[in-house]
Amino acid sequence: MDQRMTAGFAPTAAPTARMENHGSTMARVAMQSGNDLFARSGSMVAYEGYIQYESNPTALRQAFAGRLTGESVPLMKCTGDGLLYLADYGAEVVCVPLQNESLSVNATNVLAFDAHLEWGVQRVKGIAKFAGQGLFNLGISGTGWVAITSRGIPVVVDCGRSGEVCVDPDALVAWSSGLEMKGKRSFKASSLIGRGSGEAFQLAFSGQGFVVVQPSEDSTDRLNAQQQN
Amino acid sequence: MVTHFQRGRKARLSDLTLGTDLYVGVQIAGPGLVFDISCFGLDQAEQLSDDRYFIFYNQPKSPEESLQLLGAQAGDTESFRVTLDSVPASIDRLAFTASIDGDGTMAQVGPGYLRIVAGGDEVARYAFDGSEFTTERAVMLGDFYRKDGWRFAAVGQGFDGGLAALLRHFGGEVAEEEPPAPAAAPGFAPPGGGPPAAPGFAPPPGAAAPPQAAPAPAPIPQPAPPPAPTPQPAPSFTPPPAAPAPPAPGGGYAPPPGAPVPPGGGGGFPVQPGQGFGAPPMAPAPGPPQPGAFPPPGQGGYPPPGQPGFPPGQGGFPPPGQGGGYGAGPTAPMPAMGAPAGAGAAGGVMGALDKYRGSDERRRWALQNPQLVRADLGIDGQPVMARQGSMVLYQGDIDFGFKGGGLMRRATTWATGEGLPSMMRCTGDGQVYLAEEASRLHPVELQGDAICVASQHVLAFDESLEYEVRRIDGHGLPGGSLFALQFSGHGTLVVTTQGEPLVLPVTPMTFADANAVIAWSAAAQVLVANQVRVRRQAFPGHSGEATQLQFRGAPGSFAIVQPYEI
Repeated sequence: MDQRMTAGFAPTAAPTARMENHGSTMARVAMQSGNDLFARSGSMVAYEGYIQYESNPTALRQAFAGRLTGESVPLMKCTGDGLLYLADYGAEVVCVPLQNESLSVNATNVLAFDAHLEWGVQRVKGIAKFAGQGLFNLGISGTGWVAITSRGIPVVVDCGRSGEVCVDPDALVAWSSGLEMKGKRSFKASSLIGRGSGEAFQLAFSGQGFVVVQPSEDSTDRLNAQQQN
Repeated sequence: MVTHFQRGRKARLSDLTLGTDLYVGVQIAGPGLVFDISCFGLDQAEQLSDDRYFIFYNQPKSPEESLQLLGAQAGDTESFRVTLDSVPASIDRLAFTASIDGDGTMAQVGPGYLRIVAGGDEVARYAFDGSEFTTERAVMLGDFYRKDGWRFAAVGQGFDGGLAALLRHFGGEVAEEEPPAPAAAPGFAPPGGGPPAAPGFAPPPGAAAPPQAAPAPAPIPQPAPPPAPTPQPAPSFTPPPAAPAPPAPGGGYAPPPGAPVPPGGGGGFPVQPGQGFGAPPMAPAPGPPQPGAFPPPGQGGYPPPGQPGFPPGQGGFPPPGQGGGYGAGPTAPMPAMGAPAGAGAAGGVMGALDKYRGSDERRRWALQNPQLVRADLGIDGQPVMARQGSMVLYQGDIDFGFKGGGLMRRATTWATGEGLPSMMRCTGDGQVYLAEEASRLHPVELQGDAICVASQHVLAFDESLEYEVRRIDGHGLPGGSLFALQFSGHGTLVVTTQGEPLVLPVTPMTFADANAVIAWSAAAQVLVANQVRVRRQAFPGHSGEATQLQFRGAPGSFAIVQPYEI
């Protein structure tokens, strides 16, 4: 076979950071023992070296306990040395280094994060029973790397300059933790946004920070959707 | 949040930051060029009525220290500290300028910027490069000025003369016109990177300008005993005689007794750019690297970006563009490979996300990226019709409502059944971000012409556009018939496609798959072409009939097809 056909897609030689993009839809993680990684279950597409995966670790299950019923733990713990390639059904991947910062990421949009980061499941007050998909998100803070996914190229919008920013929860990817967030329901009979549910939900963010949204209202969890079939 | 300024843009400072203790950094560099970066404190007539408010290398601070020159640090060629609250009322405008010392023109300047940092966060940045200039030798970069409070304007106006011409422009006097110093002693002054001015020692009260190491061009390696600050136009208010002229470095420059020798600056040798003493990794010395240069400690809490004293964990992160310099510290807990040498690493979250920031331009329809469009209802004021559910985000006061329409239109909607997506009407003042399942968006501006769009590919349009439903019937079409919306008038329409579309000029023999066609010019005539093949089909369920749309029309008509069949 003519190797030149595929040469352009070979990984770049040596990783320069813990997480890098390989193309726009794949993340490459340089794994080292002692520096574990939590990755979305089933997101591994390839790896080099010696890496082990443990899905549904007990610690994780506890963290998720009492959250929602009937949902499996969507994370696996990866340990070992080598290069790990992660992807989520062709979604765009953004690798974000946290430097003593914190970020809230919609749980479906988390691809991977360093295990030494502090994280926890956050619930948004007042909108726990969110339109079908139980909005829950991971608050991740500390110093390390996070990879998030987005259906389509994401857009970062600043808050604070113009009062509230209202986001369709299906399109929400991540936001800076300092923001204040509240559910907003418009009961006006005439307003029918969302998926024709008859009720319009938005999340209103206020404060200083940013919101990341994806250009798609597709928030289906590919993983769970597949398991249900 | 960094607000990016284009040339000419103005903004209220309070919209950018609530802080009034600001750090202003200027980065400007060009091959072989040496710059003098100065700040003019002007009165209402835009004149330099008080020489003490011309802040430059020989006069690094104003009398009450509201304006201070800090030197090169954190990637900036020159930096200032501006305490707006204590700027006297007679000063109405602060103009930041850069002028070339020696030969060269502004056209040779590489990419540079002026940025404003408040509380460790960069809040505004005006980027420029040499392509905006020609033979100018100086440039007015940006102004702070009073107008119901302080405002900032990105000026970017070139000036033919150098610093002297600027000074005359502002009404200053140039006392002596010394021949310009031979452009930067080669090998000494690294091009483009002005070595940091030696940190001014706090002068005893009453003493005039403190002795200063000369900026970039000065370091001529000869122990020059006499004064004469070599950099060219010495303005009228040259340093008071008391202050010995900048001693040429290299020689044994003994600082006046009692003056603390600043770390790194004592030797007087120009430091290589990038390892300026302000750069955090190089200066582990505790405390701000400019001891004494800061006013009474009570005023502390002014963290210029990247200074060692900058407390991590405040949520403040270093402004992007600092390179790897900063990263080493905070990321230290990660072993070797974890140290972010990658480009985006230094900027933290914002560094990684900065490229996903949408465009800031104020237009009614602005593509934020190929898949997301922003409609600004505040411009033009007219409502936008958008496909229901396509709103991903909005800012401002916006009402979403069902499109009512007249009875006629409702009847059409009914007649067309499900062929039409339900639309919502966005009214109010604010910005709506629209997208549809990550498909590509194409704003099409109609100027009195007409276009037909397959109804499921309409994302949004200005309400000023007229539209009517056209139905193309034909046996074999999916669902029995194809619905298209014919738009005409003046306004913008946003069309979605899956993948990169193909625009075909209409010839006598142009066919398209009815499932893949997106839009066509209204002048083209659409026919349904059926081909019946006699051959038995290879797979079951196929009718043996292939249905295409045939386009015919006047030259100039087109059809748009997407690489995806619904």
